[in-house]
Amino acid sequence: MGAYRHFPVLMITIPMLGAVLLPFLGYLRKRWVATATLLPLAVSAVLGLLLIGRIPADGYLSYELGSWTPHFGIEIRVDYLGLFMMLIVCGISLLALVFSMRYIEREVEGPKLTAFYVLFLLLSAAMLGFTATGDIFNLFVFMEILALSSYALVAVAGNRNAVRAAFKYLLMGAPSSIMVLLAIGFLYSVTGSLNMADLSTRIAESSYSEVLIVAYILFVIGFGVKAALFPMHMWLPDAHSIAPSPVSAMLSGLLVEVSAFAIIRVTFSVFGSGAENLIGGTVDALGIFAAAAVLFGGIMAIIQKDLKMMIAYSTISHIGYIFLGITAFTAEGLAGAMYHVLDHGLAKACLFLCAGSFIYVKGYRRIDDLKGAWRQMPWTCFAFAVASISVIGVPPTAGFISKWYLILGNIEAGNYFYVFVLLSGSILAAVYCFRVIYYMFFQPPKEGAWESRTNEASPSMLAPIWILSFGTLFFGVFSYLLIPSLLKAAAFLL
Amino acid sequence: MPGKSSFSVIPLIAILLPWISLVVILAVPKGSRRVRLWVCFLGSLATLGVVLSLLPGILDGNSYTIKLASVVEGLEMRLTVDTLGYYFGLVLSFLWMLATLYSISYIDHKENRFFAFMAMCESFLLGAAFASNMFTYFIFYELMTFGSYPLIIHEETAMARRAGYKYLVYAISAGTVLFFAIVAHYFWSGGDLSFQELGTLSLASASRGILMTIFFTYLAGFGVKAAIMPLHGWVPDAHPAAPSPASALLSGVILKAGAFGIIRVVFFVFGIDLMRQLSLFTVMAVLACITIVVASVFALTQDNLKRRLAYSSIGQVSYIILGLSMLTQDGALGGMMHLAHHAIMKGCLFLCAGVILVKTGKKKISEMRGIGYQLPITMICFSVCALAMMGTPPSVGFISKWLLGSGALEAGLPVYIVILLVSALLSAAYFLPIIYIAFFRWEGDEVEGGQKPKLVFGKEADHKLIVPVVILAVLTVVVGIWVTVPGFPYSLVTKIVNVIF
Amino acid sequence: MRLLHNYHYIGAVILFCIGLYTVIVRRNIIKKLIGLNIMETAVFFFYISLGYVDNGIAPIRVGGADPSKMVNPIPQALILTGIVVAVSVTALALSLVILLYRQFGTLDVDHLMRDEAEEAKEAGE
Repeated sequence: MGAYRHFPVLMITIPMLGAVLLPFLGYLRKRWVATATLLPLAVSAVLGLLLIGRIPADGYLSYELGSWTPHFGIEIRVDYLGLFMMLIVCGISLLALVFSMRYIEREVEGPKLTAFYVLFLLLSAAMLGFTATGDIFNLFVFMEILALSSYALVAVAGNRNAVRAAFKYLLMGAPSSIMVLLAIGFLYSVTGSLNMADLSTRIAESSYSEVLIVAYILFVIGFGVKAALFPMHMWLPDAHSIAPSPVSAMLSGLLVEVSAFAIIRVTFSVFGSGAENLIGGTVDALGIFAAAAVLFGGIMAIIQKDLKMMIAYSTISHIGYIFLGITAFTAEGLAGAMYHVLDHGLAKACLFLCAGSFIYVKGYRRIDDLKGAWRQMPWTCFAFAVASISVIGVPPTAGFISKWYLILGNIEAGNYFYVFVLLSGSILAAVYCFRVIYYMFFQPPKEGAWESRTNEASPSMLAPIWILSFGTLFFGVFSYLLIPSLLKAAAFLL
Repeated sequence: MPGKSSFSVIPLIAILLPWISLVVILAVPKGSRRVRLWVCFLGSLATLGVVLSLLPGILDGNSYTIKLASVVEGLEMRLTVDTLGYYFGLVLSFLWMLATLYSISYIDHKENRFFAFMAMCESFLLGAAFASNMFTYFIFYELMTFGSYPLIIHEETAMARRAGYKYLVYAISAGTVLFFAIVAHYFWSGGDLSFQELGTLSLASASRGILMTIFFTYLAGFGVKAAIMPLHGWVPDAHPAAPSPASALLSGVILKAGAFGIIRVVFFVFGIDLMRQLSLFTVMAVLACITIVVASVFALTQDNLKRRLAYSSIGQVSYIILGLSMLTQDGALGGMMHLAHHAIMKGCLFLCAGVILVKTGKKKISEMRGIGYQLPITMICFSVCALAMMGTPPSVGFISKWLLGSGALEAGLPVYIVILLVSALLSAAYFLPIIYIAFFRWEGDEVEGGQKPKLVFGKEADHKLIVPVVILAVLTVVVGIWVTVPGFPYSLVTKIVNVIF
Repeated sequence: MRLLHNYHYIGAVILFCIGLYTVIVRRNIIKKLIGLNIMETAVFFFYISLGYVDNGIAPIRVGGADPSKMVNPIPQALILTGIVVAVSVTALALSLVILLYRQFGTLDVDHLMRDEAEEAKEAGE
């Protein structure tokens, strides 16, 4: 029983504590705030890395807060998928943070700078807690922290569009949180437990099937809004395109995935083992919405003129992918969904950060303005191309591997229509991604747009972009590092 | 068949060598043009050398394998040089070397981009040739697809852009279909994507309908590259738009990558027995026959030389498909040998078209009166290859047609011979006028006593343009006469055929 | 009879629906926030009624109190957290409302959510 038992809880509390202390530092030494934000996240990331190999693919690490045994106290339970998710959160947050150290001064004015970093750290901490907790009410609390900090982060620029987008997001997000709370109440009323593992055994024995079905539907709606699943996606394009780019990267690269992960948790850890036939109908409906999301998001992305808007719609499409992996209800599908979480996190964060560096350097948001950008900003453009290729799912990127398993899972489940949808989704992705790549690399610049010698984005902005785009390649080529364990972990969950 | 499989890094080295060019270009993008481009050429020459170094072992029936990475058990990136892969690798690295040499003089703008992507495509194609299983093949195939896009739009004219767009649309759709085929193949073969000499699928592993679905999705996926009608749409646009060395490679190698994929599917995934049981060969044969005849008719109507050649390529690649569909030894032999033979002939023809374009700026056949006097060596080479395409002995074209005809008789379907004859007739009809116009007409010949131009030898073009053309034209004849020399297509293809039948 | 017996659940559902209706239908954003709060209250009410025991006593085990008479303390503890969350959401939402009012000069959601193209067109007319 080594010290690593404490790592999961430390991974959550250290950034949380940092977020509490940061305002004081901001009051004393404003210049150190950015660096001070890095520190707790880096510690979390290191702790997470140290945990690698300590959690078997078919097991978990349980930690009882305050030494109360799980049924009574709050449990932190990190299984293989949880650790996987936490590491993605740490990694992408760190990179987005490094990017924003230089970038954010453009979009956020002086006094709000500290607030930005506090919210950023709070968001990361909440996402870590959200993935790690084994207590379903705790899940709600972390979700609210996450939601509140993300509303505020969208609004942080303070201009009219930002505030409006944030309010729109809040108007959809807050009722969805209430639905989750209500669902938890339903579960509690029929089982009398809040611990997820305990719940799953009690649900299997419970005879209140109607209440359970309603609770599951409420969960799906509640988390579905946060994950921007198709008919509940209306907040996403505005919020993601208007928020400062590192925030968009966080929202698109992490927040929606984390919410999808919560649905995986609820579906498999809470309901899955005992109540498959109960939630079957809802899962089928979820699949239909997910398929609609893939097509709708893809088509909408094609007709966008604003780069960040396009990436945001592409996110809607890719959330559909993740859900199609979940609804297949096979180990391959689930592993594909989890791998897609990784791939999509890396690729989308990279795309948003690239969009950010175009905004930073030239102030260009429209896709048309990027014609010929390659000559002046080659590094950003190359990273953008690599990440887009992963979004399309061209080998040997991570997107290819995840799509492979998503399709394999759906073939195994016999859902040929979804296989068709997944394949069409990648064609749509090819259309909207290649348009941008084509403009960047093969079109002459618009008159006056790129004529004066433009400097590339600064190294501190390029480094995260390149790490992310390299990551999509790395996890494509070295997928054997993760896929066998993910398959095993997925089989363990089912 | 004696032969052992052994670990070897040589396949990997062959794949990595072309990247030397890329490194050089990235390191000194503005250095001396001469040095940069010659290093690129040396890179492709070295690749050819490395590939050739495997020849003795391959002729002994050995194979070489190296594992690159694996995702899970059975799903791995592995390079294995078996005889078929080696055969394709040899053809492509040879043609690539010549095309690179040719490009040094041909490409006059943005040569960095062109050479970088040339080298990249060579590497990817070698990877595809040496792929040990469908997974690896697909990865390299897709990479090559996207890597060849910049070659097609290199001229950056409106036509090139349109052609590139069309190419991408076709390629991405095909890639998607192929992706489905491979995942389905992976699922129903129980995770075995490897190429086995007798096939890996059988009626025991999946139902008839599923196997047919897998086969037809494969055929549709690879058929786009192999330009089987009605999936050929991108070919006639891409060839004229691309610079000539790129069109030579497109026609000579990249189209063949699709045909190569079909060979792999037919013989190494499904296997002869299953192909017979499912009667899949009839569909292939019908499609191939339609393509051969219709493409030749289309070729007749084209006035743009490269477009005519492109239609001719569409027809010729279907010879390979036709040969496979016969499911007989001679048919397979002829079809697979045609892969190399057509690469030599069509490569030469496109390079000739390039010389004409560079020296005279003429693209249309009707403008080429008297061009044989201006560019005698080029046009003689052109004529040699054109005659070979019609199947005139002694040439490689004759050998493939002969074997295909013999295969058709073996299969008991003499109707194929009729198709072959019609095709030969049609190719005569679209090639002979070019030769006629080049040598027997000249500017002002309508007028009585028009001045016949003088033959000018030795000054027609840069040596870097002429040497590849001449080498290919000579090979057209030499390979057609000394068929059985070790290392020539026959020696390799007979080994493959012996193994799969 | 069972339905009547569960009157507190019915109350919670009715409140929830009123809240949801207000959030969706009302155009004034302050009213929307009030609707949100009504929804939250409905859920709190639902939770509290879960733990309710007729004539129950506070769950303090001092002086040999009868445990079967105690109300369930867990929902109450949960709702304490829930209220904190609800208050913060409302606070944040109100601050956003203030910002919106400053910048748009209206609380009408139809005016607020109109996109910029329309605004520009309107200005042009």
